[in-house]
Amino acid sequence: MNNLFALTARELKSLWYSPVLYVVGAIFLLLQGLVFWLLILLLIDPRVDPSWTMAQFFFGGSFFYWFAILIIAPLLTMRTFSEEKRTGSIEFLLTAPVTDMQVVLSKFLGAWAAYIVLWAATAAYFLVLRMLTPFDWGPVLTGYLGTWLLGGALIAVGVLASSLTRNQVIAAMLSFVAVLVLFSVGILDVFVKDPEASKLIQYCSFMEHLRAFSKGILDTRPIMFYLTFTGICLFLTQRVIANPRWRS
Amino acid sequence: MPLAIEVTGLTKRYDTGTALDDIAFSVQPGEIMGFLGPNGAGKTTALRILTGMLAPTSGTVRIDGLDVADKTLEVRRRIGYMPENVALYPELRIQEYLHYRAQLKGVPGVERRRRVQEVLEQCALTDVPRKLIGRLSKGYRQRVALADCLVGKPRILILDEPTVGLDPHQIRQTRELITQLGRTTTILLSTHILPEVEMTCQRVTIINQGRIVAVDTPSQLRQRMQGTTVVRVELKAEPSAVQHALRQLPGVVQVSLRGEQQGYVACELQTVGEADVREALYQLAVAQRWPLRELTQSRVSLEDVFIHLTTHE
Repeated sequence: MNNLFALTARELKSLWYSPVLYVVGAIFLLLQGLVFWLLILLLIDPRVDPSWTMAQFFFGGSFFYWFAILIIAPLLTMRTFSEEKRTGSIEFLLTAPVTDMQVVLSKFLGAWAAYIVLWAATAAYFLVLRMLTPFDWGPVLTGYLGTWLLGGALIAVGVLASSLTRNQVIAAMLSFVAVLVLFSVGILDVFVKDPEASKLIQYCSFMEHLRAFSKGILDTRPIMFYLTFTGICLFLTQRVIANPRWRS
Repeated sequence: MPLAIEVTGLTKRYDTGTALDDIAFSVQPGEIMGFLGPNGAGKTTALRILTGMLAPTSGTVRIDGLDVADKTLEVRRRIGYMPENVALYPELRIQEYLHYRAQLKGVPGVERRRRVQEVLEQCALTDVPRKLIGRLSKGYRQRVALADCLVGKPRILILDEPTVGLDPHQIRQTRELITQLGRTTTILLSTHILPEVEMTCQRVTIINQGRIVAVDTPSQLRQRMQGTTVVRVELKAEPSAVQHALRQLPGVVQVSLRGEQQGYVACELQTVGEADVREALYQLAVAQRWPLRELTQSRVSLEDVFIHLTTHE
């Protein structure tokens, strides 16, 4: 536990000291600002119920939401393992008395914490809105929860991609493509006639699961879906790191 | 008391070839063992297996009686490993980095600050504790890595070419530090710098092309080579006549020309057996009326042993 804490603190420090976080953060906040502006335009219409629309539009209702996640997950995770492999600092890391799983978890937690903080910054928009109009906080909170869980799963994909290569750019491209594929699973539904297969595809769709959260529904199925996916990716990363062929 | 390091039947094969071929050696507790070999001999591979960074194809490694494959974490807690490629996080400050490493190596929170201060002093880093690692020169980075190695108070140190890239002054300091540490710690010191081994190590393991070619003390190794003696002589005469005459001397097995200056021919003779060729040489010079201006018998250096062992195998 102590080790995990030290390792995660080091990950966060590295993110904090590197320009990547600031560039990613700036792009992210710019995109979210745009979403907020679009949301305001939508709310100007007096027939719209703010409680109902707000969370649904902000969390997954616009292209920019998905686009923001699609770029920040790979950018936050691309250097986690590949940079250590490229410089060779992984040799110091893996000969210290820490388990491979602790190392993998710390990389994940560091990037995820940065992701959570970035999203938490957008809470300011809702505070501003709250000053102007009363609304239900429920869907907003579940929206955040869904976004964090979804991000966790994609960050786990990014960490896995990073463990496979010494090159940050390749790691970023790998996870970018993987995230795109995961986002587009739902599209397959159009081509499938069989209702059972269609159900399966919908269950595997990353976008579909977020809808429940943004509606304010706290369902255990999507929570388990994202958590299980995260767990599998981290387990695979641990296997990769434990394999001597991929270690350095 | 178990052996500090015990390696048996260690083999490492890659797709492209064999890096280590059935290696076995052991290090006694408290000993400084030199690990010597030309580049590409398999030193780094062996050390990486010792530290659990790589898995061997076959064979076992025991550190303090613990199998590296089973008790990886226990073993890692006991060793301080300094890899050949010193790659530290450039964005951290020296002190910050050592604190982090001390925490990983299980130094309790209350002792950490003191322990970091101790290793900073030992490695002569007290003047720059807040400098960014990325801005350090190679020599400083090397010393930070050594401090990192020591911070967990390991019982066994495994150092892979610790003095590479240091200036002569720093090399001397590092050697002194290693000798001083050797009084309380077991050290396996990999290097290809021979004087380093002669100065610091009690025993040497020489490895070449993935095989161990010799394990002995530096002085024993030197004696092993004493069977052949090298005599250097400079005579003023025709080179071909000198060479011919020298070959006739008893005990001489090889004559090699080492150049000509001001009419003097420099030759090196390799002799075998107990016979001292120098007297016969003097007699020859007198008989032929060849002026003689140099006659020296050279001591065999560890370098010769090394070259001999790693080229004639």
